[in-house]
Amino acid sequence: MSYIVRRLLYMIPTILGVALLVFFLFSVAGEDPVRIALGSHASPEAIAALEAKWGLDRPLHMQFLGFLGQIVTFDYGESFISGEPLSDMFAEGAVVSLSLTLPPFVIGQVLFVSLSILIAYYRDSWLDRFATAGTVMTMSVSYLVYIIAFQYILAYQLELFPIRGYASGLEGLQYLVLPSLIILVVSIGPNVRIYRTVFLDEMNADYVRTARAKGVGEAGVLFKHVLKNAMIPILTYTVVAIPFLILGSFLMERYFSLPGVGDLLISAINNGDFPVLKGLTMYIAIAYSVFNLLTDIAYAYVDPRVQLN
Amino acid sequence: MTPKTRTVVVHLALTLGLLATLTSCACKSENGGGDGGGSKPAIEKGEDGKPIKVLNYFRSAAHKSLDPPKQFDSASAELIDNVYDTLLDYHYLKRPYELVPNLVSEMPSLSEDGLTYTFKLRKGIKFADDDCFPEGKGRELNADDVIYSIKRFADANINTNSYHVLLKDRVAGMDDFRAKTKEAGKGADYGTLDIDGVKKVDSHTLTITLKRKDPLALYAFASSPTAIVPKEAVEKYGDEFERHPVGTGPFVLAELSRRGEVVLKKNPNYHLTYPTEGDAGDKEAGLLEHAGKQLPLVDEVHLPLIEEPQPRMLEFLKGRIDWIGLDRDNFTKMATKDDKGNFTLNAEYANKFDMYAELRLVNTYYSLNMKDELLGKNKALRQALAYAFNTPLYIEQMLNGRGQKLHSIVPIPIAGSERDTKAQWYEHNLEMAKKKLEEAGFPNGEGLPELTIEYGSSSTVARQNFEFQRNLLAKAGIKVKGGFQSFTAFLGKVETGNFQIASSAWAADYPDGENFYQLLYGPNKVPGPNQASYDNPEFNTLYEQAKYMPPGPERNAVFAKMAEMIKEDVPVILSVNPLAFGMYQKWVGNMKRSMMDDAPYKYLDIDIDAKKKGVPE
Repeated sequence: MSYIVRRLLYMIPTILGVALLVFFLFSVAGEDPVRIALGSHASPEAIAALEAKWGLDRPLHMQFLGFLGQIVTFDYGESFISGEPLSDMFAEGAVVSLSLTLPPFVIGQVLFVSLSILIAYYRDSWLDRFATAGTVMTMSVSYLVYIIAFQYILAYQLELFPIRGYASGLEGLQYLVLPSLIILVVSIGPNVRIYRTVFLDEMNADYVRTARAKGVGEAGVLFKHVLKNAMIPILTYTVVAIPFLILGSFLMERYFSLPGVGDLLISAINNGDFPVLKGLTMYIAIAYSVFNLLTDIAYAYVDPRVQLN
Repeated sequence: MTPKTRTVVVHLALTLGLLATLTSCACKSENGGGDGGGSKPAIEKGEDGKPIKVLNYFRSAAHKSLDPPKQFDSASAELIDNVYDTLLDYHYLKRPYELVPNLVSEMPSLSEDGLTYTFKLRKGIKFADDDCFPEGKGRELNADDVIYSIKRFADANINTNSYHVLLKDRVAGMDDFRAKTKEAGKGADYGTLDIDGVKKVDSHTLTITLKRKDPLALYAFASSPTAIVPKEAVEKYGDEFERHPVGTGPFVLAELSRRGEVVLKKNPNYHLTYPTEGDAGDKEAGLLEHAGKQLPLVDEVHLPLIEEPQPRMLEFLKGRIDWIGLDRDNFTKMATKDDKGNFTLNAEYANKFDMYAELRLVNTYYSLNMKDELLGKNKALRQALAYAFNTPLYIEQMLNGRGQKLHSIVPIPIAGSERDTKAQWYEHNLEMAKKKLEEAGFPNGEGLPELTIEYGSSSTVARQNFEFQRNLLAKAGIKVKGGFQSFTAFLGKVETGNFQIASSAWAADYPDGENFYQLLYGPNKVPGPNQASYDNPEFNTLYEQAKYMPPGPERNAVFAKMAEMIKEDVPVILSVNPLAFGMYQKWVGNMKRSMMDDAPYKYLDIDIDAKKKGVPE
């Protein structure tokens, strides 16, 4: 327990540092949101009025203190652009983004582990070579190419899926399948390669030889020993990816008209909507720290050799 | 089967099973199944089960504010135009663009001294039903609503952007009113603050008195920031009013999802009818078939947010979007320009879709900084640059022909343009460029420092444009480099006069040449819109004279003199009047692209029978 408290306390300076960096990037060094909004030839009067409306006429230290207050209260106020409360915007966007990213994430973990263990088991065989070449090939192609090609071929030419769109509830499922499928396909290459390496490392370990020497069958070796010992790196890789699921995939959301957090983020960058940018950046920083802590705690449960101290 | 092979088979089966599970959820839509797949567009049905006319278009960006005076983006303006009304509007069919009555029963009459306009409102116009009204029933629009809306437009706490463009220094007492609202802060009491020049005559009549004779002042009352809003809605919804519009426009907002779909439904009580006259050829083109008919012609307009060009085009090709603009890449694939300068769709698309090509009310030009030590003091150097630029070649190679060379600073369709003044800009001439360069003291470019062209973007298109100009100018002996930066960084340089050459553009606030000649008016120099900081007293006097002249031959003669001065002094290098090019489905009726109305939904019609057949093969 004291370990957890100590780690939570360590997070405070980290988050303060991130807050300072975010504030500097967006409020000091970044582009002027008022000029982005008003465009060229805006009158000085118009600029001053909008600065006052958005609170950008206050001294920088007051703006920073206000930002810290927002972090503590988890209330980042309202969007500069739409005037909507950010909490509502994030909540609506998060539902869409999670609907898009969570299924391929969950299915993907099972798929990647299954494929990787299979390939690792048949290392140096035709299957391993084919899989290695295949994963390298799929990783070499840009994400955008997958989106454009899948949308054109599967949705437009073959009409297997809607081209784009979104609806809430079960009706919306049809719009999520193709983008989720693309996310899954795109993530096969890098994930399988990493997991394969992890499994190969374990398969060459002494304890595997010992298990085989003791007469443990291949299935027992794979699922009882190798899989369990490979869990630590897999867990690290998996858990820290969870906070990013809420951010969705901005390319996917834009191409398939999904009103998720990724699209929200890109629109905020284009429009200089700093409250949205600050809010989302701080969310990621805090969530990343928390999930890192959760990963460390989880180690202790999967691997008895790890102690929290 | 060996144990190893069995393991492989099991694993593969597991993998394929997972993929099958995922893909099996994909619902192959029925023919025309709503927003989903299908080879034919859906025919939407009303509550009674009968087909209804739905215009399917899209939004390429999310709107920001639906409160008329607060808007500062085109995505918001397109919705506001269809939910609210202005006192005046632009004729849908006539060119050059001309003002026509909208909420008023006739064009405002002008007093003998030329200062006071009398606006007579149509009777019987009602706001849309809304909870802000007693029993939820929209009440009749009256002069108090107009005065209230004008006050909101002038309120410094509400309108941050458009006031200075449209009505600043125009209406008697309005600037004072604005100053008082600024002092009073948010929530200024309009009951105790009046605008001297805005007076109610009776329930449906008001007068607006100008500071001076000003024939262009009326354009402000056709601009959507001056749209009429009901006080009850503003007071009831407060800040939420930005997302809860209540107007008298052709449509009411049925669904509003900022990042999803916006649905507009026909306002059955709308007051306007389709125009009964147009330009020559409009009747033959079928644009007067609905003459005199009640607007809007469609029952609903569906506007999903589609930000990327590919899904927009794929939806259009499937017939699920009725109208689409063509970007450069799609233009290359789908259309061609013949030797006579006419645009046609390629054979594959010509039978399926119709098209339009219309000059935009936009100019593009290069500002030469007159404060720059080198450029500002060397007229021959500026003239050498003007000879070296090759706009026709630029249009052909970089824009696929989608534009026309400008001969004056005014876009060609606008009153006071080269059509009226017969202005002629420089023709590309390398020999003359070299001669002028020698005259400037740099024979063959020797001794001429490298000049910098600034761009407000670092996109591929900006870099390609620069490369084109760099190669061209090099042939004349002029070396240039590109300055690529974010738009706000670009503004920072331009508005402080810290540049040599800047890539510039201006879109019409209203369709009149004055709006473009002010780009070179001395007092408008940076940080104002006169980026070149050109300050020629003779030009300034002519501008002040023309500003308050009514459009016509006399004013055109003044504009012609100003165009000559620009050509002689070269504070800018004129470039292109870009062209808007788009396609629409065969079942869309009454399409005549109006550059003063980007969302002319109320005039468009849908032929349901033609739509049922789908996009022709």
